[in-house]
Parts: sequence; structure tokens; C-alpha cells
Amino acid sequence: MSVDATVETYKGHRLAGWLDWLQMLTGLTLAVFIFAHMLFVGTVIFGANAFNWIASFFEKTYLAQIGGPILFFIFLLHGTLGARKMPFRTKEQKLIVRHAKMMHHRDTWFWVGQAVTGSILLVIAAIHMWTVLSDLPITAAKGAQEVQNTLWALFYVLLILCAGFHACIGLYRIGVKWGFITRATRAKALKCIYILMGIYAGGELILLLRFLSLKV
Amino acid sequence: MGRTLQFEIFRYNPMDPNSKPRMQTYYLEEKENMTLFLALNEIRETLDPSLQFDFVCRAAVCGSCAMVINGRPGLACKTKTKDLPDKITLHPLPVFKLIGDLSVDTGIWFRGVAKKIEAWVHTNKTFDPNALEERMDNELANQIFELDRCIECGCCIAACGTARMREDFLGAATINRIARFYIDPRDERSDQEYYEVIGTDEGVFGCMGLLGCEDVCPRNIPLLDQIGIIRRKMAIASTGGKVGRLFSVFAKKKK
Repeated sequence: MSVDATVETYKGHRLAGWLDWLQMLTGLTLAVFIFAHMLFVGTVIFGANAFNWIASFFEKTYLAQIGGPILFFIFLLHGTLGARKMPFRTKEQKLIVRHAKMMHHRDTWFWVGQAVTGSILLVIAAIHMWTVLSDLPITAAKGAQEVQNTLWALFYVLLILCAGFHACIGLYRIGVKWGFITRATRAKALKCIYILMGIYAGGELILLLRFLSLKV
Repeated sequence: MGRTLQFEIFRYNPMDPNSKPRMQTYYLEEKENMTLFLALNEIRETLDPSLQFDFVCRAAVCGSCAMVINGRPGLACKTKTKDLPDKITLHPLPVFKLIGDLSVDTGIWFRGVAKKIEAWVHTNKTFDPNALEERMDNELANQIFELDRCIECGCCIAACGTARMREDFLGAATINRIARFYIDPRDERSDQEYYEVIGTDEGVFGCMGLLGCEDVCPRNIPLLDQIGIIRRKMAIASTGGKVGRLFSVFAKKKK
């Protein structure tokens, strides 16, 4: 409970605002990236050659070697910034779950979902980035060999579902928090977000099946 | 009509050392146009005179009768029993100090945050009691009134996941209140001065956009729309006006 206390003010202290900008911008970057990532990987629909061609393009231009670690850093930064808002203490975790149950409120559950998927992603997306970037060049054959192992296939299903949910609800939340999605436009925005989530999860799962059917 | 309503009501008197938190059941015949406020009064008059709950205006103006109704914070006087199922569960608002049963003290909490954000007009002008009151544009007066519609019932605070996890979070009603001073031309505080009060993780940057506040507000105030505006203003202020200048360059180019 908030009671009489000295107001905590710092003259010229602008850190909280900067961190909020960073959290939003890193999240936005990662959300845009995973959709772009889906399009690049999507070349596998046209066969292994198309996929290998685009992969070698990213390696020849050093986009993978330089952009990859930069993205990894943005990803860790976003995780750290997001963690400031997450319930880590058992008391807080119990409270937020009890609160969401009490309220029967979709948007509160969405946030709980984001906290959970965010925590999972911090581990599994890191594994994915590490295994791919530490074993260049990226080829369709390697990808296919990997997902044809059942455990890896399950790993990727989890990664796709978590990334799709976290990124799409994240975009929605940026809109809500920064006032771009208002009371008047909320229902419509949410519909767009559901469609986006469907496109991502559906698209990525189709790609996963394509890799499974690829002859190694 | 003619339903028998089952009330599950939280009972606990923190002043009584023998009292233990528990749920108590009451049955009541539903009447036409019955509100929860009427039902609770009937329970107290006919079934249990010890039941504690607050009310004053019974017209959604005073904000005293806020409680958690089937999981959602709301005003008892504004909630009709016909809109509720046969079983109605009532809890006191969380976050606030419990006085007993359904009665909480929202006053201490709201006074604390009002002092933190300095919820009064900051001006260097000396008050002249003989002068005519300064005139205000009608549209602006309406905008301020729109924000002043908040009755500080505490529903938005109780519905906020952040406020429940972080005890020092200011909450939607408080940010809405600072917005009221922000647009009031009589308050001479600059963006930087507002930033010092609310540009923190306990203030506007602590809001995670869970929308609980907006979805339960009995006065239908678009709270998150207001928080969004303040967040943008404060985020721009945090850059020391750099982003603001950038926007103004674009605005000039557009012209």
C-alpha cells in the first residue's frame, strides 16, 4: 500500500523513459524480424536450391555473421528489459495468476501468456540461434536433417507457437500501451492480431512440414 | 422475477482477534430493479446486522460501494442483480486497507498517491479574491471535466495486475488525475517537471497495458487511452525534447 513518503525525484533522471523506448523498439525489431525470417525460410517451399541460394546470399554479404550476433544482442537486451516487469518472486507469480483467474479477463491472461512465452523463448530461441549461427553455412539439408529428429521437430513446434504468440500479442500491447490502439479501434486491432498470429503460426508450421518432407 | 439469489460474501473483521477470513452464504428473494446495494441493505436489515459494507450516494457518484463482484471490481449501486447469475460472490477490493467484510479504506491510498504526484494546481500567481475568475475555453473545460469524472472508487486499481504485484505502482486513476492537471493551463508545471513526478517505472512506464482498469471503470473513462497519451508525452520528454524536435521537423515538412 502506498502511504505518505518522500517523493522520489531525480533531477534530469531520464532512464525510465529511455528504457521504455528501448523495450518497445527492441520488441518491434524482433517482431518484424521473425516475420522477415519466415519469408526467407519460406523459400524452401520452392525447393532446397532456392533456400540454399538465399542462405548463401546472407553469408556472402556477411549479414548472417554480423547481423546474427547483433540480433542475438537485441534479443538478450529485450529479454532483460522485459524481465524488469516480470513476476519473479513466488508471491508475485501466485498473485498475478490468482488475479487473472479472479478477473476472467482476456487481456490479463494475454499478459500472463506473454510472461510465460517470453521466459520460454529466452531459452529456446537462444538455443535455435546458437545452433544455426555456430554451424554455418545454413543449408536446406542441415535444416531437414535437424527437424527429421522428433525431439527437434517438437522443439520447433514449441518455438513457433511461443514466438508467434509473444510477437503478435507484443505488437498489440505496444499499440495499447502507447495509445495507438484506442477504445474505438481495439476490437478491430485484436482481429488483425489474431489474423497475423494465424498467418505466422500456420505459415511456419507449413514450412516445418516442408522440411520434414525434404529428402536429405 | 422470483429468483432466489445465493450470496457468497467474504467476512473478516481485522479488529476482532477471534475473527477468521471466511465466506458466508445468504439467500435472498430477488426483487424488481434490485441492485446489489439494495440487496446488501436487505441482508443487513433482515439477515445479518453485523455485515459491513460502504455506501453513500447509491447513484454511482461517490465511489464508496466498490467491491469485487463475481471476480470483477465494480460498484454495488450500479450493478443490477438481473445482470448477474443466481450465485453472486462478493469480495472486498484488493490492494486497499481492509476495514471489515466488504468495506475498504480507499482514502489513505488515494491521499498517498495524490501527494506523490502533487495533485494540485502549481502556480506562481498570487490569488486575488476580488478579481474575476479567469475565463477558460469551453472545449478545454469539457476536456478537463471529462478527466475529472473519476470518482476514485478504486476499481481500476483493484483490476490492475501491475498494482497488485507492485505496491508502489501509481495506477490508472492517478495517471488520469495527472492528465487533468497536464491539460489545465492554470498549472504551470513543465513537461520536465511532470516527468519527474510520473516518468518512472512506478508511474506511467510501469503500466503494462493489461487493460483491466479500462474494462472495469464504472464511469467508463477511457483510462488506457489517457495513459497512452501521457506515456507518449513523457517518453518524448525523456529524450530531452530531441524526439519532439524531430516530430516538429516532419510536421513542418508536411506543410
